Amino acid sequence: MKCLEGPGKSCGLSAPAEDLVSASQLEKENEDAEEKEEDEDLDTDSDLAPDPEEEENDLGDPAVFSTVHNTQTGLPSSPGVKTPGVSGMPPAPLHFLWQTLDYLSPIPFWSTLPSASSPVQHFGSQLSSPDPSLSCSLPTSWPPGFSHLTQLHPQHQRILQLQQKQRQHSRTPSSSAKKPWSQQPDPYANLMTQKEKDWVIKVQMVQLQSENPRLDDYYYQKYYQKLEKKEADEELLGRRNRVESLKLVTPYIQKAEAYESVVRIEGSLGQVAVSTCFSPRRAIDAVSHGTQDQDAGAASSQRLLVLHRIEKMFLQLLEVEEGQKDGSSQPCYSEQQRNQTEKLFQALKTQEQNDLEQAADGFLQVLFVRKGKALVARLLPFLPQDKAVSLLLAITHHLPLLVRSDMTDQVLQMLFKPLSKCISHLTFHELLQGLQGLTLLPPGSSERPVTVVLQNQFGISLLYALLSHGEQLVSLNSSSEGPNSDHTAWTNMVVLIAWEIAQMPTASLAEPLAFPSNLLSLFCHHVDKQLVQQLEARMEIAWI
Amino acid sequence: MNYMPGTASLIEDIDKKHLVLLRDGRTLIGFLRSIDQFANLVLHQTVERIHVGRKYGDIPRGIFVVRGENVVLLGEIDLEKESDTPLQQVSIEEILEEQRVEQQARLEAERLKTQALKDRGLSIPRADTLDEY
Repeated sequence: MKCLEGPGKSCGLSAPAEDLVSASQLEKENEDAEEKEEDEDLDTDSDLAPDPEEEENDLGDPAVFSTVHNTQTGLPSSPGVKTPGVSGMPPAPLHFLWQTLDYLSPIPFWSTLPSASSPVQHFGSQLSSPDPSLSCSLPTSWPPGFSHLTQLHPQHQRILQLQQKQRQHSRTPSSSAKKPWSQQPDPYANLMTQKEKDWVIKVQMVQLQSENPRLDDYYYQKYYQKLEKKEADEELLGRRNRVESLKLVTPYIQKAEAYESVVRIEGSLGQVAVSTCFSPRRAIDAVSHGTQDQDAGAASSQRLLVLHRIEKMFLQLLEVEEGQKDGSSQPCYSEQQRNQTEKLFQALKTQEQNDLEQAADGFLQVLFVRKGKALVARLLPFLPQDKAVSLLLAITHHLPLLVRSDMTDQVLQMLFKPLSKCISHLTFHELLQGLQGLTLLPPGSSERPVTVVLQNQFGISLLYALLSHGEQLVSLNSSSEGPNSDHTAWTNMVVLIAWEIAQMPTASLAEPLAFPSNLLSLFCHHVDKQLVQQLEARMEIAWI
Repeated sequence: MNYMPGTASLIEDIDKKHLVLLRDGRTLIGFLRSIDQFANLVLHQTVERIHVGRKYGDIPRGIFVVRGENVVLLGEIDLEKESDTPLQQVSIEEILEEQRVEQQARLEAERLKTQALKDRGLSIPRADTLDEY
């Protein structure tokens, strides 16, 4: 009888020689695991109430045709089991990995994760009891502690626990009153051979295989991570024994053939569709030969182009984020990641265009779209400082425009956090550049950009952040430099902004997302007392 | 043994006694001998159990091969508890008779209902089986 090639021990006795050959390589690896398991078994034995005898009684359960199950193959890795006859056993040290496609030769399984949960270990330890002919399938004695693997209804679980307890208590009296069929072997058992069972499982596993389980099986992976974290915490808190939960490992089985769905025959005018069992009817791919539309004038197509650009950039961004997630969370980016980020930045700034204004325009168009803002917000942490600064400056230069366009959506806020991080690394000169855009009167308008900015939450938050950083820089450098053009420019700007704030009716002053603490002192330095009081009143009101 | 932790599989149910409910309403009880990837079942020593009220009757059917898509649910039967049932087993003829009577009563009630509705100018289209789309 074929058996699973887990830790070869269990299969050793009844398996034909050829099985052992392939198992031998596994034995070494698994022996270590097994030894560990046995230790764990011994450790946890004392913890667990049921004892070997109870297990035997379970086996006396009429639902189990125990002796016949000897011929069944089952538990691959239960230590000490002389015959591999355990179907329906809980996965004691379960190790699974599909190695070959060929199920004609016995398929070894093991997983990369060692061991099993403790309730399962108790079954494992039962089997190391001296009676090798007893095997156990799980009728109703499925361990209730298995809840994280088998989601049982709480009522169901309670019933099972009750049954287990009953079995525990009543084992002595009922040992004599065994049901008649418990002793009789089921002559029809194992009509389905182990090979066939393996095959069914294999078919199901193949359907599950995935190269990127984090993408394909997101919820299970997250659930499993949570579970592991919980167990790690539990272990830290007190429970000494490491209870390792099992994970479903999607196998990677090489698909037998790579088929081409469409075959081009030389000299033919078209394509021939090849049908296989995977794709009985494969549509011949239509290749579009349409020319690119050069119509840049139409507004709708322009918008579509922008949206298309955003989508493409988003895909690139997702790749960058994915790369970071796989690696460490530190900003020591790999070469590949830096390349990707660079490419993405180029796409964003449309650097290939020589006209700087057009480049900025492209960037702005992206920013007008909500998804574009999200894209920039997520990209900023990955960018090196100089590139981030260029984006920041572009934003501040066109802040009124952005603010106006955002009136309906109000989603500029998402940009605030990454931008404020960038601001904290600005140089004084760059800061001045940023603020200059806001304070200069644009031609043909009597209103400074600052006025509009102050009325918008994002705008005012950004402004405050810039001012605060400026104040920080000035106070750090105050001793070193004497008065120079930069400083005067700075002072002028601060005064101007203070005046604007004072002019603004408090009702229209927006509430900032973050209020830096050094602003008031900043204004105190540069502005007269009366104005400061006015400012204080306004900002406090706006703040509270 | 659970080959795939976190999933359900019929592999563990092999060679155990099961109760299978089919989409056409039949209840089969038998030992599950074999399955495949579509959950087609091979039932051995199958018995079709007909329930009418508190009575039931078993019709022995032998070996059943059930196409997976026709199964509504199946569950393992605890052989210890199998006999603890408040239901009364009767002979096949009796249960078939009971079933016929019940069916007639139901049809009669249905007829009266549709007649009453018709009298009031209403008609409710009947979904006879779940298979009708």
